[in-house]
Amino acid sequence: MRISLGWLKKYVAINVSPEELAHSLTMCGLEVESIEYLGAKYNHFVVGKVIDVQKHPKADRLTVCQVDIGAEKVQIVCGAPNVAAGQTVPVGLIDAVVPRDQHDPNGNPLKISKVSLRGVESNGMICSEYELGLGDDKEGILVLEASAPIGVPLADQLGVNDIIFEIGVTPNRPDALSHIGIAREVAAIQNIKLMLPAIDVQTNDTSISDLVKVIIEDVENCPRYSGRLISGVKIGKSPLWLERILESVGIRPINNIVDVTNYVLMECGQPLHAFDFDKVSNGTIIVKSGIDDFNFTTLDHKERKLRPDTLMICDDKKPIAIAGVMGGENTEITQSTTRVFIESAYFLPRSIRRTAKYFGLSTDASQRFERGADPEITLWALNKAADMIISIAGGTVLGNSIDVYPNKIKEKEIVIRISKVNELLGITISKKEIIDLLTKISFKLSNKESTKSNPDLLSLLVPSFRPDIEREIDVIEEIARMHGYDNIPVHEITKLRLSENNPPKDFLPIIRDCFIGAGLQEIVTNSMQPISIATLASDNVVKIANPISRDMEALRTSLLPSMLEVIRENIFKGNSSLRLFEIGKTYYHHHSIIGEYLPQYSEKTQLLIAFTGNQNPLRWDEKPRNIDFFDVKGEIESFFQKIFLDNIKFIHYPNTNALSERGVHIEINKEYAGMVGYVRKEILKQFDIENEVIFAEIDIEKIINKIKIKRHYTTLPKYPSMIRDIALVIEPNITMDKIEEAIKASGTSLLKHIELFDTYSGKQIGDSKKSYAFRLEFYSEDHTLTQNEIDGVMNNIINELEHKLKAIIRR
Amino acid sequence: MIKKIEQINQSATAEINSVKTLDELEAFRIKYLARNGLVGDLFDALKTLDKSDRPLMGKYLNDLRNNAQSLFDKKKEEIESNTTIRQETDDLTLPGRRRWIGSRHPLTQTLDEIKRIFYKMGFEVADGPEIEDDYHNFEALNFPPDHPARDMQDTFFITDKILLRTHTSPVQIRVMEKQKPPVRVIIPGRVYRNEAISARSYCLFHQVEGLYVDEGVTFSELKGTLVTFAKQFYGSSLKFRFRPSYFPFTEPSAEMDITCFLCNGKGCRVCKQTGWLEILGCGMVDPNVYKYVGYDEEKISGYAFGMGIERIAMLMYGIDDIRILYQNDIRFLKQF
Repeated sequence: MRISLGWLKKYVAINVSPEELAHSLTMCGLEVESIEYLGAKYNHFVVGKVIDVQKHPKADRLTVCQVDIGAEKVQIVCGAPNVAAGQTVPVGLIDAVVPRDQHDPNGNPLKISKVSLRGVESNGMICSEYELGLGDDKEGILVLEASAPIGVPLADQLGVNDIIFEIGVTPNRPDALSHIGIAREVAAIQNIKLMLPAIDVQTNDTSISDLVKVIIEDVENCPRYSGRLISGVKIGKSPLWLERILESVGIRPINNIVDVTNYVLMECGQPLHAFDFDKVSNGTIIVKSGIDDFNFTTLDHKERKLRPDTLMICDDKKPIAIAGVMGGENTEITQSTTRVFIESAYFLPRSIRRTAKYFGLSTDASQRFERGADPEITLWALNKAADMIISIAGGTVLGNSIDVYPNKIKEKEIVIRISKVNELLGITISKKEIIDLLTKISFKLSNKESTKSNPDLLSLLVPSFRPDIEREIDVIEEIARMHGYDNIPVHEITKLRLSENNPPKDFLPIIRDCFIGAGLQEIVTNSMQPISIATLASDNVVKIANPISRDMEALRTSLLPSMLEVIRENIFKGNSSLRLFEIGKTYYHHHSIIGEYLPQYSEKTQLLIAFTGNQNPLRWDEKPRNIDFFDVKGEIESFFQKIFLDNIKFIHYPNTNALSERGVHIEINKEYAGMVGYVRKEILKQFDIENEVIFAEIDIEKIINKIKIKRHYTTLPKYPSMIRDIALVIEPNITMDKIEEAIKASGTSLLKHIELFDTYSGKQIGDSKKSYAFRLEFYSEDHTLTQNEIDGVMNNIINELEHKLKAIIRR
Repeated sequence: MIKKIEQINQSATAEINSVKTLDELEAFRIKYLARNGLVGDLFDALKTLDKSDRPLMGKYLNDLRNNAQSLFDKKKEEIESNTTIRQETDDLTLPGRRRWIGSRHPLTQTLDEIKRIFYKMGFEVADGPEIEDDYHNFEALNFPPDHPARDMQDTFFITDKILLRTHTSPVQIRVMEKQKPPVRVIIPGRVYRNEAISARSYCLFHQVEGLYVDEGVTFSELKGTLVTFAKQFYGSSLKFRFRPSYFPFTEPSAEMDITCFLCNGKGCRVCKQTGWLEILGCGMVDPNVYKYVGYDEEKISGYAFGMGIERIAMLMYGIDDIRILYQNDIRFLKQF
């Protein structure tokens, strides 16, 4: 909301600087987001007098002017046809920024510098109305009143020295959406008097009720409807001061009638609407809802389909306005309008909100009605508007005003407890002080019978312009606000009563540290992506009904696609060796009921790691080697080892996933927990990645409850261990996990550790076979092992391998 | 004989240097060390010498064989140990063999620091879904249907009643639904806003929400907790202010500003010339919220607060475009 300081001063005698005022408004909840000094755009502009005009020696259209700017005379080359000696003109000096360059198609600003135009020096610019942003006339320079003092700043001469506060008014404060509303707050916080202008409307003898009939059919949604009729007006442009002040608060001038209604809106916050009364059939106004299947054209020339719950203003034949939102084209004020009916009503916030949402229309009127206007201000606003119209557009106001207000809205009465105020805020404030603070912001004391005997209670009447105040807590907030948040002490000692809940341990930092320690870089990516990408990993895609763009229409079902995007961008920027990980959520929509929080939706926290490029940084004594599958798998195995997770199996699977090919599933206690694999070539191609990318994905929830937080100490072996190596030749289809299983099964409890230390395939063992070599470690908890004991176990193992796996033992 | 031994010794010593592969090494072995190789031939020739010369020549020959064998062994080890050749060097200023290093994303680092401080003050972590229903995201937080406060947060909808949470506050409701007071939790998480993407706003960001409900909790305590946090996080010399604001689920509501640490409160581009930086929103939990979760508003009171992690990270690290946090350019991430 733009608030003009000059305008505010009509209602309060402000005696502090604009900056101080802004600070005190901010500290009472009306945040001043910025201060705009309107005069600043006319820095380096002054009033000048043209003394002499000569033809430019080399250009027919240009003239060389000598301009008196008070302290000195400057030479300016001018292209305007109307420039003449003796004129008083606006002069932009060197360094001035012309608000709109009239030679620029977009009217961008232009900074004036010293130039030579076809050989003649020019030290400034005489400006047109357009260039100064004062109007649309580009034809010639703006000629000021002859009496304007030479050399004064142009801003002073034009009277554009106003200061505009941009105030961020929160949705609970509709009362602050006007100059009087802000002035009221200023009066309260500065402890000064609010002065509201007195209005005395001159009316003629004809009573409005002879000509206008207002019927409210939907009293629930329109509790009050007031109006006035003005005849004999002449529609035209508003006077400059009115256009200027409206523009300064961000409203485009339209014509004198509409401008007045907007002025009153910005003054007191009451939205008004002006109808061309001659277009209202039979002078009848009916406020009703229930109109279905009707196309209504609003003032913005758009056709809008009405809904039965849309509250409408109608005459006896047709709808003429969407109540509280926007008027209709059919009763618009035009050049030929002579009789104007001004509407000033109070509509129910909920109803206007629904309508504005439905039409996607947010207007100055709807914003105020949906937050809650002041039902008691309709007549004041009406009179103010009528008074202004006759002085600006002529005409006469008909006697009396319409005011249909069948059920007067009762003043709200709230009882507060002084003890509660102090308990909740943690302050000590007396009843007297509270009364003092609240009366400053227009609360009144009510002497409710039941509160008289109890000094802790205070009963109050809420001003009609504060729809947000309904409960004790709302009043406590007002007390806190007026007392000053900064005057509430900072209580730093807080009691530490902890919940008896034993919250689950936060494992994510531990997991993160494991991978950072292994040299991986954490990334954080967008969880929204195109549907075509989200469906790669799952069919259960969550789709967004109102996405920003097609690129963000779905929630991710895997962390891999956004990872690939990051990889591509980094490779593109010259970093092709990457070791990245992300811990993030993936999202699923289900047709059956399975979600933890919402029946049909579930979220999984996942870990994704991905490697591409070199395994190590470049080293001077080592040839670079590309990462491969076992680098990634090794990282995952080390991770599991580090968090003491066992019972893990890696199960080779052929080609089962849309994103990956060749890889292993990770199973913990026989339950799927993730996978390690190569990203599919087609997918890499889709993401424009030429290098191989290998990744691992782990479902964090599947591992978290299996992490053994409680460690238990195992006695260290007292007896020496013995090492035996064994090499075997096997068929290529026998995998490592089978061999390990066989060795474990036959190794007895003495076998403590198996490690693969060599693999071989080649001529010496026959083309189709492979050889694995293992190092086995044995020890016993209760005695030193003998060679014979180990030989026995080794024979067991060899037997098992030979029989189960048809292995040949290399000796 | 001696001459021959010397020749063979020299040629073997010379040849071994040019050996690069195991195949070449095998050729070397056959040439010198095999039964009928050059050294073997000389041993055969030993028999033809005078008996008196044999011991000495035998010793020379043994030396030759041992030398050739050790050249062979050394080279074999060298080739097998690495396909590349480790160079002997005296330059100890050559770089060591570094590994890749990684780091936490700056958002994680910021969040971790916030968490650390609140853990010390007795807060626990709570969690909730990002796909939420209207009830938890709005209604139970005292945003009535058809209320303009809903416009404060542009929402992504999945269906009419299901949406992407616009703040972490719905988790307040979920926690209070499950747990009786005292409740003292922080709730970090990802939230979504349907806003045009620019340097200043992204379609999603992260928040940390805080909630403390117990008997006799005051606004004064809320100030105390947040001032303690801010001093721990931003430094103990900081100045702060609380100013009234509006959130449907707290009353009284406030926003907390600290003096801009970039200009020391003098006014700069980042603080929009105000000298103040807004760092969080907070307030006393609105009694209506207690009604939704079945708490007795007369017996307990509490406060809640929430801050945006991106905003804090951007201020801390001097980042002027929020989008860079989600681009994950490794050159950016390596700076943290």
